Amino acid sequence: MRPLHHPDEATLVSYSAGALPTAFAVLVSAHLGICRHCREQLLDADRTGGMLMQQREPAPLSAGARDRMLARLGETRPDPPPLHRVPVVADPDCLPAPLQPYFGATYGDLRWRMIAPGVHRILADGVTGGTLMLLRIAPGRRVPMHGHAANELTLVLQGAYDDALGHFAPGDVADLDDEIEHQPVTAPGVPCICAAATDAPLRFSGRFARLLQPLIRF
Amino acid sequence: MIDTDQATSKVTPLGAARRLSPPSPHVAADARYWSEQMAAVASRRDRDGFMRIYDHFAPRLQRYLLGLGVAQASAEELVQEAMLRVWRRADLFDPARASLATWLFRIARNLYIDTIRSEPNWMPVQDGLEWLDSEAASDPASDAEAFVDHAGLKQAIDELPAAQARLIRMSYFEAKAHREIAAELNMPLGTVKSSLRRAFGKLQAGMRRTR
Ligand SMILES: [Zn+2]
Repeated sequence: MRPLHHPDEATLVSYSAGALPTAFAVLVSAHLGICRHCREQLLDADRTGGMLMQQREPAPLSAGARDRMLARLGETRPDPPPLHRVPVVADPDCLPAPLQPYFGATYGDLRWRMIAPGVHRILADGVTGGTLMLLRIAPGRRVPMHGHAANELTLVLQGAYDDALGHFAPGDVADLDDEIEHQPVTAPGVPCICAAATDAPLRFSGRFARLLQPLIRF
Repeated sequence: MIDTDQATSKVTPLGAARRLSPPSPHVAADARYWSEQMAAVASRRDRDGFMRIYDHFAPRLQRYLLGLGVAQASAEELVQEAMLRVWRRADLFDPARASLATWLFRIARNLYIDTIRSEPNWMPVQDGLEWLDSEAASDPASDAEAFVDHAGLKQAIDELPAAQARLIRMSYFEAKAHREIAAELNMPLGTVKSSLRRAFGKLQAGMRRTR
């Protein structure tokens, strides 16, 4: 799989800086698992971070820190092996590894809630930075023109949709901000399952609410 | 041996003062020097080499973590944890893939997100991502780091327009999200993103500058 649509470089810079809110970082991790192009971009951003870190004025460490370090070099405790190797598309029924802590391991076990005809959603619990959700939209459905009052990142997991920005298939990311309006139409055939992150304040209930209001009137 | 401390300690990256001098030729040599120390750690468990790495990088990682708002004691623990990873996983360090500064930055950033932000599974996922490219990196044709111009990157950082430098600084030194930056500077979100994108483009051009 070679995605055609990637996160904005500004989003990768923010990820590199540890500044991306959790909901977005989780989605970017899932995309990185299948996108070598973005992993290379991220490495450049991390090179920037490394250079900036190295150039900064040193901060004093407490007395004894150096001795404590030396003492720990003799520890023989082995490192735990990596738990995941991000098998993002290895098993078609498995969610990308970064999404699994929030939604479970498999698509088959997802507990969808209908929020409008043809539209189902699962909100992730316990995400403090932004809102993270899965959306399942029936095939061949037009989502009315909408703009964005916030950042919104969408990662297609299954199915596809089209809008003015192009065709979005599994692995593709739409990285939208407040200057973009679009009108997605889900592809015919299978439902479109997306992971989405937004930083819209919850008291405005995000633009997803606005996005979905017209659907309710279908 | 290069006295790297002297070469870098008085320089404030992204500082207001514009330095007109040409970029230090030491920057590229620095990266090579630290890679050599790492090779000694990996092959001979060289404690002296490791402690040279510690003495140079630990106080800088400490500064980085304090900047992100980590308390002094927790920051010191994270620094020690990061350095211990370097010690234990020295054989995983691949100088063809990234410099030691880049590798350490990644480790510290990931420990920060894993520990301070308590992101579930962050470290295993990051280890998995790292592993994806470790195979390809052993192919000599993909010696990506050989094409990175560290002096060019440093110069590009120094030459960023003030407004873009500020956004880079707020991102890397304070871990501010796009939306927080937009609110603080009273800028549209889209402008924050496009400015960061342009700044990053300049830094990448600096890294790939032909000499
Ligand atoms: Zn990508």
